[in-house]
Amino acid sequence: MSKHLHAPLVQTHGVEKVYAAASKIAALKGVDLIVERGEFTALAGPSGSGKSTLLNIIGTLDRPTKGTVSYDGKVISTLDVDELSDFRLHALGFVFQSYNLIPVLTAAENAEYPLVLQGVEPAKRRKLSHEALKLVGLEHYAERRPDMLSGGQQQRVAVARAIIHRPSLILADEPTANLDSKTGAQLLDLMEDLNKDHGITFLFSSHDQAVLERARRVVRLQDGELKADEVRAR
Amino acid sequence: MLRLAWRNVWRNRRRSLINVAAMGFGLAAIMFGQSMMRSLQYQLIEKATGSFTGHVRVERRDIDEPKFPDKFMTDPEPAAKLLAADPRVLAWGRRIHLTGLISSPNKSLGALICAVEPEKEKIITDMATYIKQGHYLEPGTKGIVMGHKIAGRLDVRLGEKVVLMAQAADGSMGAEAFRLVGIHETGSESFDGQMVWVPLAAMQELLVRPGQANELAAKLYDIEQADAVAADIDAKIGPGNVGAMSWKLIDKEIIGIQAFQDGMLTIILGIVFAIVALGILNTQLMSLFERVREFGVLMAMGARPRWIVRLLIMESALLGLVGTALGLSVGSALIAHFGRAGLFLPVGDAFKYFLPFPSVIFLRPSWWMHSFACGTVFLVTLLATLPPALRAGRLKPSEALRHV
Ligand SMILES: Nc1ncnc2c1ncn2[C@@H]1O[C@H](COP(=O)(O)OP(=O)(O)OP(=O)(O)O)[C@@H](O)[C@H]1O
Ligand SMILES: [Mg+2]
Repeated sequence: MSKHLHAPLVQTHGVEKVYAAASKIAALKGVDLIVERGEFTALAGPSGSGKSTLLNIIGTLDRPTKGTVSYDGKVISTLDVDELSDFRLHALGFVFQSYNLIPVLTAAENAEYPLVLQGVEPAKRRKLSHEALKLVGLEHYAERRPDMLSGGQQQRVAVARAIIHRPSLILADEPTANLDSKTGAQLLDLMEDLNKDHGITFLFSSHDQAVLERARRVVRLQDGELKADEVRAR
Repeated sequence: MLRLAWRNVWRNRRRSLINVAAMGFGLAAIMFGQSMMRSLQYQLIEKATGSFTGHVRVERRDIDEPKFPDKFMTDPEPAAKLLAADPRVLAWGRRIHLTGLISSPNKSLGALICAVEPEKEKIITDMATYIKQGHYLEPGTKGIVMGHKIAGRLDVRLGEKVVLMAQAADGSMGAEAFRLVGIHETGSESFDGQMVWVPLAAMQELLVRPGQANELAAKLYDIEQADAVAADIDAKIGPGNVGAMSWKLIDKEIIGIQAFQDGMLTIILGIVFAIVALGILNTQLMSLFERVREFGVLMAMGARPRWIVRLLIMESALLGLVGTALGLSVGSALIAHFGRAGLFLPVGDAFKYFLPFPSVIFLRPSWWMHSFACGTVFLVTLLATLPPALRAGRLKPSEALRHV
């Protein structure tokens, strides 16, 4: 029985994170978490419980103080900086709370940027970014710069950017926190559709109960530890 | 990446424009300064060699002051043949310099007497062009040309006679009458108030020095070859008490002025470069600080740190290119304008005592110096970006993303 076939998409093993050696804040105290392909999972927990820290470590934006993160059974915590960049470039997509689009680029250019970094040729990039913008319902806004888009629209562009290169996992840290509840709900609709129709795996954090309701699985963090793991039948 | 870099350059339009303007006008000022100094030097050299010194001279080695050699070459002909045979020489002529007494019916004065071969001298120097009354010397005559000031002091007019007295080879005093045929006005005190010109043959006769001269002055097609020609002729003359030298050994003060000006220019250049560098460094640091989160986003997307460094360097290179292009065009336009119209510089008066020198400088570009300035401005721009760029390359993505 090959380990490979059964390896989960993401597995953290005893992940600990201590910030700033001086203050000795343990943001994570040994987290074991498995995320399988196709999940639509939320990280819940009060402020300061370690949601962002865990997402950053899973997203390889930060290194754990202790413990390992594996993708498809392969430990990635040992990769060097450039290897991690390349890993993110192909395997991960990010959506941030504050959209974080590049202000000098249009919606289409923002959406296609991961492909620019991958060195995909322009014609193909343009086609894919058009498709991605269409998926998020913004095909008519392709030439606008971020400052000409609403917050909800900017976040949709960010989603388009996160999915354009078909990553195996999208990490979203409080993606709806800057949006009003209606726009936030629409964004969740979009994420849900992408998850269902395109099989894209989502791991997102939130402390908004309405958002957590939408997740199929909710993992609760408290003081840097996993407190609960509920799978909802919906 | 180029697209992103280019847009980033213009993201803060005002700041970039200020930077480009600072770079552009700094560079234009440098080019203008370079051109002004070089043109001034060029004009100075042209005037000094063109009104008196010549490009290459053959003189005795044991003289005190090479500008006015006071000892005679008993046989200048071997050296004269060498000058005549050298294809780089445009014209050459024999000269005698000495001090003597000049007398009109009313007055006697000391004067610097220059005896020249008139038809050759017209090519070697431009003294003939300064004649304001009468005409230049004619060979085979006993005519004399002098400055308007000395003529005024002697109270003589065109057509009147003056007597020159000087010590002859045998120790006796020779004297001869010369008719005033031309009066020149150069604006230079030394030329207009002290010098008189007579034909060589008449002077040789007066001094009882047939066939002798105390210098041979040559004008070349290209002044840049003065050193080479002087060295060649000198080698061919061989050992002995006669040698050849370039104008640089004669008009030493011009070389001194040149070195001084070049030194000044270097200092000014350094200051402008420092200002440009600090401006760029400041801009880049500010823009880096404002954009930390954006770098975090790029890193999260999978941009390698080195890629970010390259992006920043490219932005700076684009800024540098635009600034350099601006500077180059403004600088060239200024130089071209003042090359046509001339630039009034009251420096003429400073040199006028010694030389006929105009106060209008016609600027000419010195492309070698300008390209050096452009290259340095561009390089300084790149170097100033390195510290912030490298700092951006060391950012950790999670920290960069937390940055507000
Ligand atoms: N860069 C850092 N340096 C020092 N301490 C940090 C840093 N980032 C987070 N922390 C601390 O680690 C703990 C967990 O923070 P984290 O941001 O992961 O919480 P969170 O669950 O995302 O909170 P929120 O809901 O407010 O976003 C907190 O006590 C926080 O103060
Ligand atoms: Mg957080």
